[in-house]
Amino acid sequence: MILLCGIPTETPMALVSDALTSNGRRYVVLNQRKFASMKMSLDINGGKTTGRLQLNGDSYSVDEFTGVFTRLMDYHHLPELKDAPADSPELKFCSNLFETLTRWAEISPARVVNRVAPMGSNFSKPYQAQLIKRFGFEVPETLITNDPELVRAFRARHGRVIYKSISGVRSIVQTLTDDDMSRIDNIRWCPTQFQAFVEGTNVRVHTVGEKVFATAISTDATDYRYAHRQSGDHAELRPAELADDLAEMCVKLSAGLGLAFAGIDLKITPENYVYCFEVNPSPAFSYYESQTGQPISRAVADYLSGN
Amino acid sequence: MWLMICSAHDASALWAFHGLRARGLHPFELVTDEMLTTRARWEHTVGVDGANFNVTLADGRIIDNRYVNGVVNRLTHVPLQHLAGTPDFEYAQQEYTALFMSWLKTLPAPIFNGVHSQGLSGAWRHVSEWVWMAAQSGLPTATYSQSSHDNIDETKHLRRIVPDGTPTTMAIVLGDYVFGPTLPPHIADACKALARLARTRLLGIELTVSQSHRLWTFAGATPMPDLRLGGESLLNELARQLYVNRRRSNS
Repeated sequence: MILLCGIPTETPMALVSDALTSNGRRYVVLNQRKFASMKMSLDINGGKTTGRLQLNGDSYSVDEFTGVFTRLMDYHHLPELKDAPADSPELKFCSNLFETLTRWAEISPARVVNRVAPMGSNFSKPYQAQLIKRFGFEVPETLITNDPELVRAFRARHGRVIYKSISGVRSIVQTLTDDDMSRIDNIRWCPTQFQAFVEGTNVRVHTVGEKVFATAISTDATDYRYAHRQSGDHAELRPAELADDLAEMCVKLSAGLGLAFAGIDLKITPENYVYCFEVNPSPAFSYYESQTGQPISRAVADYLSGN
Repeated sequence: MWLMICSAHDASALWAFHGLRARGLHPFELVTDEMLTTRARWEHTVGVDGANFNVTLADGRIIDNRYVNGVVNRLTHVPLQHLAGTPDFEYAQQEYTALFMSWLKTLPAPIFNGVHSQGLSGAWRHVSEWVWMAAQSGLPTATYSQSSHDNIDETKHLRRIVPDGTPTTMAIVLGDYVFGPTLPPHIADACKALARLARTRLLGIELTVSQSHRLWTFAGATPMPDLRLGGESLLNELARQLYVNRRRSNS
C-alpha cells in the first residue's frame, strides 16, 4: 500500500496518483485539507514503530504502508485554518496530526519521498554547495559579504555576476547591474550572495532512485524559471541524454544527500565543465514532464512501489 | 587558534572556555553569536579553492577558518535583535541562518559539534527519532507514544519521554569516552554507540535510573549538553582532542 500526502489537485500529486492508478497499484490519498476527519497514533517500542492512521473512513496500520509520497504544504496556509486563532484547537490538532505523520515517516522502513531531515541541506545554498562539491561537480565562484568593496572587486574580477538569496526564500536569480551597484551599500545590513555567471546550457536532472531524467533548457533569461518575466520569451525545454558517468554522479549526489527523489540544477559549459547550482528536494517536476513528456511521475510511482 | 562559539549567556560554554584556556589552548578566542551579527564584516567564499570565511568582529579580531585548529561550537540560533522591527526582519533571519550554516561548514575538525542540516551545532532530532536510535544502539527504552490527539503544542514546548520533574542524570559522550555518572559497561557502550549512530562527537544522553534495581533507561539526548556535568575530566579529554591540530597558525 502506498500513501500519498498533500493536496490531491496539486499537479505533481495528481500525476503520481495517475501513474499509480495506471500501474494498478493500491494507494490511499491523505488529503491535507480534510485533516479534521483524520487520526494518527505512533508507538515506538524497542526500536520498532507501530501505529494507526485513520482517514477517509478507514483505519490503516502504518505497517501497511511500504511507500510514502509527501508534498505537505505548511498547514498554517490551509484555507481551513487561515483565519484560525493561534491557540485554536483546530490548529493544535492539525499540528499534532502532521507532526505525528512526519515523525513516523522519518523513521519508517517504508520508501519515503522525501524524508524531512535530508531536505534541510537545501535551506542554505552555499552549505549545500559544499556538499555538492564532494561529489565531483563544479560549483560557481561565490562571494557572500556585507562589504560593498568586496563586491566591486568580485565584479571586476568576474565580469558578469549574479545575485540571489542565500536561503530558499525569494530565490530569484538576477544579474548584478550598474543600477544595482548604485545601491550596493544596502548590503551592509544583511550579507548577500553573489556568484560569477557561468555560460552554458541549463540542464535540470531529476533522479528517482537510480533513474535519471535530464531536461535541457534554452533561454536568454538569467533564471529560466522566470524566463518570460526576465527576457520576454518562455524557456524551451527538451529531453537530453547525459553521459553515463555524469548520470551516475547525479544518482550518487542525490543518494549522498539522502534524497530518493531530487531535482538537480546543472549548467554544462561549452568546455564541458559541469556546474551544479542546487539540489531541490521537493522538485516541481510536473513542469518538466508536461513540456517534454518524460515519464518522471511514472518513475516516482515505480519507486514507491518498490521497483 | 581555537574557537569557542556560543551565546554570551551560555554559562556552560563560558566555564569550558576558561577551563580549556587554562589547559594551554592558545590563542583561544571566545566568539559570541551577538559578535557575529553586530557590526561584523563578512567575507565567505565558495568555489574552486574550496570554502573559506573571514570575519572581522567589531572589536577588530579577525576569524579566518584557515587558521583555526579546533572548535567548540554551541550556536543554536542567530540573534538579530538589532534588526527587530525592520520590514525585512524575517527575510534577514532566514538569510543569516543560511549564512551561518554555510560558514560553520568551513570550520575544520576537530569540532564539537559541527553544523548539520538539522541544527547549527549538530543535529537537533525529535525525541521520537532519538528513542528509535537509542533502541538501535542497545539502550533500554520505554515505549514512546504520540498521537494527533495529544495535549501538547510542539511549537511552544519540547516533547519529552519522561514526565516533567522525573529525576534524570546526564552522561556525556566524547568520542570513545563517557563522562558523568558511573554507568554499567553495557550502558556506557550503548551510549557510545548512540553517539556514533547519530554522528555526533559530543553528545549528552539523559538517563533515568531506578534506585531499587539500578535499571538505566534512555530519557533523551542533546548535542549541546551542560559541559559542567562532565567535570574536569571532560575538559581534560576535550583539550586533548582539540589539541590534535595545533600546527595551524596565523602568525
